Amino acid sequence: MSGPARAPFRNPGWAGNVGEFDLSEADVRGTDFVGERPLDGGHPSVAPSYPYMLPGKDPGAVLFEGPYRERFEKIRSRYPTARGALLPTLNLAQELRGHISPETMDEVAALLGLPMAEVRGTVTFYTMYNKRPVGRFLIQVCTNISCSLCKGEEVLNAFLRHTGTELGETSRDGDFTVIEVECLAACGFPVAVQINSRYYENVLPDDVPALLQRLREHGE
Amino acid sequence: MAYPYVHASEVRVISRNFGDPAARTLEGYRERGGYRGLTRALEIGPATVIDEVKASGLRGRGGAGFPTGLKWSFMPRAAVKPHYLLCNADESEPGTFKDRELIRWDPHQLIEGCLIAAYAMGSRHAYIYLRGEFFEASQVIARALEEAYGAGFAGADILGSGTHIDVTAHVGAGAYICGEETGLMNSLEGRRGEPRVKPPFPAAVGVYSMPTTINNVETLAAVPHIVEHGGEWYRQWGTDKSPGTKLFCVSGHVEKPGNYELPLGFPMMELIEDVCGGVAEGRTLKSVIPGGSSVPLMDAEDCRECTLCYEGVEAAGSMLGCASVIVMDDRTDIVREVRRMVQFYAHESCGQCTPCREGTSWMTQVLRRIEAGRGSESDLDTLLDMSAQMTGTTICVLSDSAAAPVVSSIEKFRDEYLALIHRGESAEVA
Repeated sequence: MSGPARAPFRNPGWAGNVGEFDLSEADVRGTDFVGERPLDGGHPSVAPSYPYMLPGKDPGAVLFEGPYRERFEKIRSRYPTARGALLPTLNLAQELRGHISPETMDEVAALLGLPMAEVRGTVTFYTMYNKRPVGRFLIQVCTNISCSLCKGEEVLNAFLRHTGTELGETSRDGDFTVIEVECLAACGFPVAVQINSRYYENVLPDDVPALLQRLREHGE
Repeated sequence: MAYPYVHASEVRVISRNFGDPAARTLEGYRERGGYRGLTRALEIGPATVIDEVKASGLRGRGGAGFPTGLKWSFMPRAAVKPHYLLCNADESEPGTFKDRELIRWDPHQLIEGCLIAAYAMGSRHAYIYLRGEFFEASQVIARALEEAYGAGFAGADILGSGTHIDVTAHVGAGAYICGEETGLMNSLEGRRGEPRVKPPFPAAVGVYSMPTTINNVETLAAVPHIVEHGGEWYRQWGTDKSPGTKLFCVSGHVEKPGNYELPLGFPMMELIEDVCGGVAEGRTLKSVIPGGSSVPLMDAEDCRECTLCYEGVEAAGSMLGCASVIVMDDRTDIVREVRRMVQFYAHESCGQCTPCREGTSWMTQVLRRIEAGRGSESDLDTLLDMSAQMTGTTICVLSDSAAAPVVSSIEKFRDEYLALIHRGESAEVA
């Protein structure tokens, strides 16, 4: 299918490589402004928003200790009910463990004093909770309408081919899990791909090998 | 300045800081006039703030276009119960990509909008509900919120006024339906994001059973400007029924996709041909979805005279929605794209209501059959019949949204369906 003619890919991974602005990747992503975020979540107002897709997962990590305990307390303080803190608490658990196992669900239920069945019902409703372990890089390719019009399916297939995986399966080396995702709200920068916490935009099928290489060598 | 392209027709009110990394900081934002709206709000008082927003004619930018000032005035005046303001930053309507830009380029503008809205409605706590995928945007807003608290714009005794407003940045975990306002409230309470039956309406019984108002990011981003300059000032742009400026998210087959801030009432063809540099690769236009995947498709003829305002798009047979203009060229396989959209709704249906839960998956199956050349003409009647049963019969409008592209595409592009059906039939005979 057709798509807008674009300048060659200088730096796959951000939206600053098209258009009329002369911006660095850090300018577009805001990384200099954000700086290093503290593990304890920083100000309580933003503790529930704290990222949870960091590299280096440990499925056996102890939850809610040290700075993570502090972050949990801050999260809890921002909601009038214990249940209100459920999603941010699950996010915190996934940040550490990489997925939400049934045992994690029960642990979170006990921590917040919620029925285990209700926590399971909530976890299974949301697509971002990995119910099973995923690869070091979770690659989510948008194939919804705007990306579909601009080679979304070809990009998805390129990721599957170059990682040698089937949809949803983790590569043998444990590096990659490729899944299809619904609209990422980056429709003007097709094809939009989310890899762990980051958006990679304007991705075309030919960019995929270099992108995977970059991930292997430099991480997210 | 819109992003990633700029055009001379743009009126840059809420997008003025797009592409300007220095505007993200509190200092940079204030140098560019930031937090003057909040200062003025605290001077004129809540009732006058609501009057200004009413006078501006600002309509909700999340898709429904409900007048914002009127919505705010539904909140009970007596402060016997906690009141909540929720900012809907769960942006997930296919084709829509404005809120992420508003958040990542101008986080303080959104925070200021939340503070003014919360102040006007007597709310002590505002939540910004960000979709879980917005990891980077949530970090930007987190840093900005810390700055706002540090400088006394948020928290206790804002700017020495005695007003206390907390703002909390909350992230979801991936579910389109959480962008529906009552689904969002359930999600914020830690439940599955299943929409609630209305009434009661959120202004009476909302999140945590308390009076609640939910506004879209783009709506709240316009508020500081309206309060600073007055409601009449905002009306210098747009039409009588659709005042002001709006971000148009243009995606699909155009030369320069991106966000463009234009006065409402802007001609659609001028947006596509002039602002966006025309249909990509010099192709011709086949169809446009003007407001995100939940609104009816238009054909090239419908687009010719269409103006981009709430009433203009309605007159052309569709809806402005959140002004997410998806452009499709003459090579587009309409049946495939409609199937892709319906497949999305099947994936995102929360499953509470039978017409939606069953209808969206069934429709996907029928469309796949047609796509594969195994359809029959009676399948089109089945699709239309299902669409009728899925419209106006459920708790929320997800099911109506799935039906909209199906009905409109069968009406406008019946030939494409028939071509697939007849190609399949002739293959069977051979």
